[in-house]
Amino acid sequence: MIRICKILLLALMAGGASAQMNAIEFEEYDLDNGLHVILHQDNSTPIVMVSVMYHVGSKNENPDKTGFAHFFEHLLFEGSENIGRGEYSDYVEKAGGTLNANTSNDRTYYFEILPSNQLELGLWLESERMLHAKVDNKGIETQREVVKEERRLRVDNQPYGTILQETMVRAFRQHPYQWPVIGSMEHLDAAVESDYVNFYKTFYVPENAVVSVAGDINKEQAKILIDKYFSSIPRGTTPIYRPTIVEPPLGGEIRDTIYDNIQLPAVVMAYRMPAQGTEDFYALSMLSQLLSQGQSSRLYKAMVDEQRKALFVGNFPLPLEDPGITIAFGIANMGIDVKGLEDGISMEMEKTKTELMSDEEFQKLRNQIENNFVSRNSRVAGIAESLANYHMYFGDANLINTELDRYLAVTKEDIMRVANKYFSVDNRVVLHYLPKPAQP
Amino acid sequence: MKNIFILLLTLGMLTQCSKKNVEVIQDKAPEMMDQVDQSWRSAIPTPGPARSIQIGDYQSFDLDNGLKVIVVENDKIPRVSYSLRLLNNPIIEGDQAGYVSMAGQLMRTGTESKSKAEIDAAVDFIGANLTTSSGGVFASGLKKHQGKLLDLMTDVLYNASFPQEEFDKAKNQALSGLATTKTDPNAIAGNIASVVRYGKDHPYGEVQTEKSTQNITIENCKEYYNNFFRPNNAYLVIVGDITMAEAKKNAMDYFGKWEKGMVDNPTYATPEAPSERKVIFGNKDGAVQSVINVTYPVNLKPGSADVLPVRVMNSVLGGGVFLGRLMQNLREDKAYTYGARSSIGSDDLVASFTASASVRNEVTDSSVTEFIYEMERMVNEPISQEDLQLAKNSIAGSFARSLESPQTIANFALNTYRYNLPENYFSSYLERLDAITVEDVQATAKKYIRPDNAYVVVVGSKDDVSEKLIPFDGDKTIDFYGAFGERIEISNDVMPDNLTAEDVINDYIEAIGGRATWEGVKTMKQVREMSLMGQTATLTMSQKAPNMFALVVGMQGMTVQEQRFDGVKGMAGQMGNNQVITEGPQLDAMKSQADIFPHLNYSSTKTLELKGIEDINGKKAYKVMVTDAAGKTSTEYYDIQNSYLIRSVGSQDGPGGQTVTITTDMTDYKEVSGVMLPHSLTIEGMMPQAVNMKLKSAEINGNIDDAEFKVE
Repeated sequence: MIRICKILLLALMAGGASAQMNAIEFEEYDLDNGLHVILHQDNSTPIVMVSVMYHVGSKNENPDKTGFAHFFEHLLFEGSENIGRGEYSDYVEKAGGTLNANTSNDRTYYFEILPSNQLELGLWLESERMLHAKVDNKGIETQREVVKEERRLRVDNQPYGTILQETMVRAFRQHPYQWPVIGSMEHLDAAVESDYVNFYKTFYVPENAVVSVAGDINKEQAKILIDKYFSSIPRGTTPIYRPTIVEPPLGGEIRDTIYDNIQLPAVVMAYRMPAQGTEDFYALSMLSQLLSQGQSSRLYKAMVDEQRKALFVGNFPLPLEDPGITIAFGIANMGIDVKGLEDGISMEMEKTKTELMSDEEFQKLRNQIENNFVSRNSRVAGIAESLANYHMYFGDANLINTELDRYLAVTKEDIMRVANKYFSVDNRVVLHYLPKPAQP
Repeated sequence: MKNIFILLLTLGMLTQCSKKNVEVIQDKAPEMMDQVDQSWRSAIPTPGPARSIQIGDYQSFDLDNGLKVIVVENDKIPRVSYSLRLLNNPIIEGDQAGYVSMAGQLMRTGTESKSKAEIDAAVDFIGANLTTSSGGVFASGLKKHQGKLLDLMTDVLYNASFPQEEFDKAKNQALSGLATTKTDPNAIAGNIASVVRYGKDHPYGEVQTEKSTQNITIENCKEYYNNFFRPNNAYLVIVGDITMAEAKKNAMDYFGKWEKGMVDNPTYATPEAPSERKVIFGNKDGAVQSVINVTYPVNLKPGSADVLPVRVMNSVLGGGVFLGRLMQNLREDKAYTYGARSSIGSDDLVASFTASASVRNEVTDSSVTEFIYEMERMVNEPISQEDLQLAKNSIAGSFARSLESPQTIANFALNTYRYNLPENYFSSYLERLDAITVEDVQATAKKYIRPDNAYVVVVGSKDDVSEKLIPFDGDKTIDFYGAFGERIEISNDVMPDNLTAEDVINDYIEAIGGRATWEGVKTMKQVREMSLMGQTATLTMSQKAPNMFALVVGMQGMTVQEQRFDGVKGMAGQMGNNQVITEGPQLDAMKSQADIFPHLNYSSTKTLELKGIEDINGKKAYKVMVTDAAGKTSTEYYDIQNSYLIRSVGSQDGPGGQTVTITTDMTDYKEVSGVMLPHSLTIEGMMPQAVNMKLKSAEINGNIDDAEFKVE
């Protein structure tokens, strides 16, 4: 049964944006079991993106069982009642498609890009995952090893691979953002089959998911197929845990040194900041652009081109559902000590607090934002993901067309204000990354 | 470096689900709440009718100055890109290999009226991209800024000024990059493979070296820019939200006055595959893995009827899909490697076949056997219908996905013109793919897969691996090459009868002062200087018998790193953060460093083996393998002429569990207080590039207070 909530958002919704951006048209509705569906039709290329986003990430985990959300991203490729072990990728490869999945602190995302005549295959695969995936000891054992290998590859053996982990654990003392998405290998080892089954039954339910399909579809036919595969999936019976923990202010600078398997020292300066979607978040995003987008950006120009202190430098706000952090990060050039690098970055950040930028530089930021926005909707895969994100985080998928206005509402005074408000010493974590002492 | 960071910041743990377990499924019904009959779900959905693929249109026209323009209209998003691409064949760069790519890189770093900073600011102001390379210029941005963008693009195209400062910077970057290359086994294999496949007389066989980079002048760069950036040697490809009329006007306005020039288009003899299989070895002392490339040149031009069946054939053998045979055999079945692949492309001059993998030392020869087995199987046996279908689906799927980008259409258009392909070459692509039969694939394999006429290029540990590869070589002799593809003559010198490793060590001890003198050395303090990116670091190393040691690294008057060993425990610190070390490999390393002259006791503490004579930096040297009590080995080379130790190669366990190989070259021996000390050390493998340390002062038997070694 299909209950249509909002019908066809038309081009006029994009009003106000200064680029003549062609609005992304889409249709969205809920099934009776609470599953939210978003459809975007674009018949120009015969491919279709089938995706499901679940509103579960590492922040929904029990502090004693970290790593579950990401672990499921692996486990749910093991198979289902009707899909043999390891056959998810066989089906997709043989159909000429590709598939993947990823997990963040806030959500987990699965997708297939298929030739458009294989839409039904994609829906079948995803509905099997939602209804009755194989969650058993055999799969758990196999995937534990894979996840450990992944941890070695991406975190332990990756130069600077522990930066996020080391920063977050210091920046948060109460909120679940303190633990890494990949979680604790001890927790995963200690957990038993029933822990995994409970997690699956709690979070992998239709009312906690968004099905987003984009590409070469016929919408009416797609709705019938989605109904066929998803409408009989029952709602969950366990309440979904969403943390309401409000992290108190950092209350003083935290400084530490990390010895890592690296060649060149690096510095991390992470400042606590508000959640994505807030007014200050948009201003901080533009502030980070001022500091690091393009070769004329403040940090690149000063640290890489002119002073040649850094091999790489930038500032990056992490877009998170709850208040998060914005990270300035620099890798020192050979022979540059880490304090010199930190001082250079600090000096550029201080300038944003005391000197109002010129109108020309401000216009540059607005132009860059506009270009970023316009460019990102060039592929159906990106469109499907953006639509699902906007619905899941803000309850408004149409932000794909209107979020640009929120950036364009930011003034240069706002940017200076947020620099002063957030770039303060007692609101930050500073880490020096140094090579493990070279052995004689 | 940038991609490292993108990886770091990807909050999501992107996970390729590449784990395959083909096993009997043990079904266990999850305890779901549903009462609905779901048995219908066991039916695998059947695909709908495949939609025919429409390939977007393009148009083209020529300007009077010879510039050919291709236009692909796509108004989905209000952006437009201008891509200028040169047409000439690559040129021979000779002793200055590398200048062509440097010329391309430098075009964007200054014009007659703008500095690099001004160009950056102007490009960023309109939120655009502008990149230059030896093959052309690419600019993209919002349609509404295209006038400004074209001003910038044509400014670098017509008025590049090649500033000295930017040239120096680029040269330094290139040298840093090459220093890293020298120790990267994949890069070494790539260099050697290019040289043996194409030869030095072909531009594809040229390799940029440190020496060739030093030879590059600004004039080389300017000359390339002046000679080849000419309208009669280029295509302009315009893609995006633009009408044909606008495209014509912009092409005329911005490129119409660009002056023609005489452009040479050199041609080359097509390199041939070897008449019999050749094993080529690149030595990397201490390597634990071998990089294997089975490779040879292939004459396959774009547009040839063989291109598509070759792609299908390669997909089955070792192409993109995980199910490729090389991957199945070497990874899934034998677990020799994390990945094994093959590739074969098409190219107007000459293409190549390469099958490659990185494998453990002990399975290097077995892996070569499997590569050859899979290549022969491809030639001798028809593939199954199922394999054929999988390869076709995979190729068709990726073809369809690529069509989403208007740049793909532009590339189709460019290739159609450039290689004189039939107009329907790309629109009939899937039809032709579908028509390929099992017999076509086998016929293609017979023609293009040549296991007996391949170079087997292996980069790895010569001592551990090379001899086992002799049977694969047609004339049973292996050729040796260096990191930049230079041929190395392996010395045939015969070692003197009865010479032992112990003799070599004793000769060395005598040559640098004698046993008695060295036994009288109770303290030694050496100060060495090294240069790191324009800054000077000072290393002060103090040793005191029987077993104390201290090392202080200073920079600009500040101590940046310190290590001490008091005979029992050690300490390592950086910037005031000290760690006391009481066990582990680091302590062992300190212990051995505390021995002022370990060679004195080699005969009782090490196992020595004389391995032969090798050429080290132009000098003949005895090679001695040294194994300590724990079984750890290192290799030392002693000059035949003067008995000095001139190279030592050892491996070190990095903190992350990786093993790094460190090569130290010792030169410029001079006398200090009756002993000979190397005044120059060059150490490779510790830092991304080699570092040179010069001896500034040395003091023998001076007074050193025990406090200097105190661990706290």
